[in-house]
Amino acid sequence: MSRPEPAVARLAVIALLLGIWEVAARAFGNPLFICPPSRVVASFAALFRDADVVEAVYYTSFEILVAFVIAVVIGFALGLAVGLHRFTRGAMYPVILLLYAMPQVTILPLFVVVFGIGAVSKIAFGVSHGVFPMIMTVAAGAQSIEPILLRSARSMGANRMQVLRYVVFPHLVPSFFAGMRLAMTAVLLGVLVAELYVSQAGVGRFTSAFTQTFQPANLFALIGVLAALAITLNELCRRAELRFSRWCAG
Amino acid sequence: MNSRVTQRLVQAAFVASIALLWHFATASGRVAPLLLPPMPAVGHELSALAADADFWPDLRTTLFELVMAFLLAAAAGTAAGYAVSRTRYAVRTFEPLMAGMYAVPAILLFPLYVLFFGLGPGSKIAIGATIAFFPVALSTVTGLSGVNRLYLTAARSMGASSGQTFRLVMLPAALPAILAGLRIGANAAFMAILGAETIASFAGLGHRIVSMAESMDTAKMFANIVLAMSVAAMINIAVSAAEKRGWKHEQA
Amino acid sequence: MTPAAPAIRVQNVSQTYGAAGDPRRVVALGGASLEIARGEMVCLVGPSGCGKSTLLNLIGGLATPESGNIWIDGEPVRGPQPQKVAFVFQESALFPWRTIQENVELGMEFQGVPVSERASRARESLATAGLSAFASHYPRQLSGGMKQRAQLARALALRTGILLMDEPFAALDEQTRMVFGEELSLLLANAGKTIVLVTHSLTEAVFLADRVAVFSARPGRIKQIVSVDEEHPRRQSFMTSPKLAQLRNELYDLLHDEIRSTMNLPVAEPGQ
Repeated sequence: MSRPEPAVARLAVIALLLGIWEVAARAFGNPLFICPPSRVVASFAALFRDADVVEAVYYTSFEILVAFVIAVVIGFALGLAVGLHRFTRGAMYPVILLLYAMPQVTILPLFVVVFGIGAVSKIAFGVSHGVFPMIMTVAAGAQSIEPILLRSARSMGANRMQVLRYVVFPHLVPSFFAGMRLAMTAVLLGVLVAELYVSQAGVGRFTSAFTQTFQPANLFALIGVLAALAITLNELCRRAELRFSRWCAG
Repeated sequence: MNSRVTQRLVQAAFVASIALLWHFATASGRVAPLLLPPMPAVGHELSALAADADFWPDLRTTLFELVMAFLLAAAAGTAAGYAVSRTRYAVRTFEPLMAGMYAVPAILLFPLYVLFFGLGPGSKIAIGATIAFFPVALSTVTGLSGVNRLYLTAARSMGASSGQTFRLVMLPAALPAILAGLRIGANAAFMAILGAETIASFAGLGHRIVSMAESMDTAKMFANIVLAMSVAAMINIAVSAAEKRGWKHEQA
Repeated sequence: MTPAAPAIRVQNVSQTYGAAGDPRRVVALGGASLEIARGEMVCLVGPSGCGKSTLLNLIGGLATPESGNIWIDGEPVRGPQPQKVAFVFQESALFPWRTIQENVELGMEFQGVPVSERASRARESLATAGLSAFASHYPRQLSGGMKQRAQLARALALRTGILLMDEPFAALDEQTRMVFGEELSLLLANAGKTIVLVTHSLTEAVFLADRVAVFSARPGRIKQIVSVDEEHPRRQSFMTSPKLAQLRNELYDLLHDEIRSTMNLPVAEPGQ
């Protein structure tokens, strides 16, 4: 008997796990705490007819995207500064490493104290997470430009801006997209953790509510949607990276 | 890149300038003491921590949650990683699945754990174990399936049984990778637990920070933040040192 | 008096890699036959991909031939025989997480030597290989030549009758190889083992072997066997002697066309 394709096997395993969940939840599960996947699916429709829930999901998506854009822009700029000039590298890289090593989750309440309980604190926390992988990746990419390329451009009479535009930036395309992919993962973590902590208009409000009022089906459904959102955004970044890095060897 | 010494100097200079800024901001009265307490106040709160009646129980709770979560993740992760590494087919099927699941922020599961286990240590242990499971399992798969075939051929040629081959060749060869995964898992578990205690808890180091924030006692909050970060750093140092011991043949 | 049974007997062995229909399918060996007497040293030479290493693995029981038979001491080969056959591999097959002495002891543990004997036999073996001072070193700390000596020590400690060596000196430079050749000849001269050594170096083959088996290009068969009639242990003077040069040239002539055909170059017309 020949083995099925790995993709098929994976789906089969997932289906099997869902089946076990269904049976176990129906047989042993206390409906206050746990519910079978069929009930989760059934509550999807009702949940997303609720305009407030839909709006909350949009609001959170907005927070994620804004944080992402800011993190990418700031991260790219700082990454360039660190990667291209020995002086800024020496001055900034150790500081970045120090900040990166800090467990940011400990200052989440501080972020909220400073920025309030609205979108700003979520976006700020998201940026704070996303900016580091972007800086590291871009800096590494900038550092890996062979000096001979820069020298030969300058020797042909290129000025600063031209060198940046024609040598540095094209070289940085793969690092840019790789950094973006990592930044997206980090931003998702930052924004979602902040939402779970305290939320006014985002999804955190509903995760709290569903938890406290023992609505496992709605909670599962909402988390499912957020997970799908995370997977989709990550996948988009991954595909963008693959598309734009095609010219790289290997 | 600069040498470690210059890096440390720059970092020290940074910390010193932050401290200076802090001092001027609070001394000149420009920043409200509620938002940024003066340094001496934070220092005082730090030293008062040991005497605080709740401190030791909270510390114990967090560390207990960490140890339990880590043990669970280590056991489940290595077992799952071992099972998957046995055949190339299993590796091709399950490894991308595990890697894909790793990319989704697993903290999303935490509200479900709170629903099921309540606000006590149970939900923290569960989320810590869930998050730490992936790096351990993935590194176990990579470590075991990446063992140089030549070692296995050599062992077979000398008459090694499959038990001997696993115990005396595969495990030692895979150990550096597995230990790295365990280190990453331990750190990840601690972050997850701190986060979980921040989000929904009535005890633990994360909870302390939240309750200080809620009662607007910023000096105490800063002190507890410094404490939590110090504990995280100590845990990182401890697990890194433990990992290095598994590498000692490489450093000979 | 009946002649002694050969230690190793290979009869019409063939081996193919890849399933039927696979475009990468390759016939590594196409009917190789060889007999090796007890205590003899035979070197296998031939173009890349001609199946020399494959044959070595088959003799050692690490793989099963598609067709043909192999006997060791009259018994058919059905799998690894750690009591009779020891290997020395091409790259360092020393376990990096153990010291040299522990590596030698581990080999004996796999073979089934009682614990009490392992340490002393290991020390003895390391002394023979000149590595006593490095017993507590890790492989990482040793040079390429020393690592191969350590592997040889591990193989010798197993006290097998047969030693199979698969391009053991391939990673060493030319000069080290030559000096090694002398050392090896000295070491093995008194060991009384049956040795099969695969090498790309014709000089090495002539210097070390009693007989040299020349392989044809893929699918590999044994084209011819050249005898080297020189006493053991081989001396430095043999390395630079005209006799060795002549035998080496003979091997080169035999291999020349085979190697050209593997490179898809036209074979020379006779008389050119």
